[in-house]
Amino acid sequence: MIYIATFFSHFGATRFKRYCDSLGIPAQTMPVPRGLSSSCGTCTKFETQQLPDYGKHTDELEKIAAVTDNGFETVYESEV
Amino acid sequence: MDSKKITVAIGLVIGVISALLVKFGNPANMGFCIACFIRDTAGALGLHRAQPVQYIRPEIIGLVLGSCIAAIGGKEFQARGGSAPMTRFVLGFFVMVGALMFLGCPFRMVLRLAGGDLNAVMGLAGFFIGILAGVFFLNKGYTLKRSYRLPIAEGTIMPAVQIVLLVLLVAAPAFIFFSGNFPDVKGPGKAHAAIIISLCAGLVVGYLCQKSRFCMAGGFRDFILFKETRLLLGFAAIFAAALAVNIFIGKFKLGFEAQPVAHTDFLWNFLGMALVGLASVLLGGCPLRQLILSGEGSTDSAITALGLLVGSAFCHNFGLASSAAGATFNGKAAVVIGIIVTAAIGFANCAENKEA
Repeated sequence: MIYIATFFSHFGATRFKRYCDSLGIPAQTMPVPRGLSSSCGTCTKFETQQLPDYGKHTDELEKIAAVTDNGFETVYESEV
Repeated sequence: MDSKKITVAIGLVIGVISALLVKFGNPANMGFCIACFIRDTAGALGLHRAQPVQYIRPEIIGLVLGSCIAAIGGKEFQARGGSAPMTRFVLGFFVMVGALMFLGCPFRMVLRLAGGDLNAVMGLAGFFIGILAGVFFLNKGYTLKRSYRLPIAEGTIMPAVQIVLLVLLVAAPAFIFFSGNFPDVKGPGKAHAAIIISLCAGLVVGYLCQKSRFCMAGGFRDFILFKETRLLLGFAAIFAAALAVNIFIGKFKLGFEAQPVAHTDFLWNFLGMALVGLASVLLGGCPLRQLILSGEGSTDSAITALGLLVGSAFCHNFGLASSAAGATFNGKAAVVIGIIVTAAIGFANCAENKEA
């Protein structure tokens, strides 16, 4: 499954990408897709069968969405 | 249609509207200019007393309200804030210092190019170098930390202020300053399209910019970081459409000399826009993008807009703003200070420095 994680800062996206790298999860940073968020910032796209533990990143994490045939399906969204 | 084609189509519409605003009365090569129009509004409110540049610009009102309408319609309106507001205010202030050195924001830079003003090439070069410097800080872990959800009322204040400004524009009470009220004064504040035309243009462009996420600084940033061209193609479309309309309506004049609301000082055109580019990347968006985000409920961007407003008043109260005669000594000093302060903000907010 391909996921896209959006963040409150560019730094958050690059740090999460390094985290994915450390777990051996293929990941890349890229501009946030127009349909996913109004942010003009950076997101991390990664491919994995099981979502990694993102607990340490929730302060910077805005949203995680799964890429589906119909667009995006939100699987996590910051409540604050 | 894929997102690049949509962005190009939107860019073409924005380019046509921008050039036509000149036909309808706006200053030449100034269908839109976020910096100039906020400066004019500051003057109308009496924050500075430069009589040639005093007018409540309906385009600014329309941009914020158009974005607000698009965000509400798309269920994207969300009141957020709390991400380094004072830092954003200072960065907004210095974006205005740089823009009024060059005499235009990044949006007007594109429109100046489309009008044949080759001085804007130096501005474009400076803007690109400034963005490169901003990307350097991003790669060093620069962050102004996250924003937080706020009560919905907080996010509605900026759009509400625009409605108040619209009432003041239409009612034109005596305490509002308009360049048009001074018969002996000449200047861009006297040149404007009819209120309804300017307002509708702002609404349409604000709506389209919210939908397309247009951002001049973001366009270059995404290209440098990811080789992503979507936003840059949008601005290329604005340029192409404005160029075509300018040629058609006889507003295209190629050259350096005697360009409207512009000067020929290459170095300070370059440095002014370098400051704008650097500060815009550190803010996460150009002045246009800040207005659009403020319409979506971002109080961080509203604070940035206040920085732009206060910055414009300082520029005219203390002789920092350039004119067709060229840059001023005070303006040059302010741009140098702005580059130093902005770079210091970049270094101070690098995560690598804080972790060290």
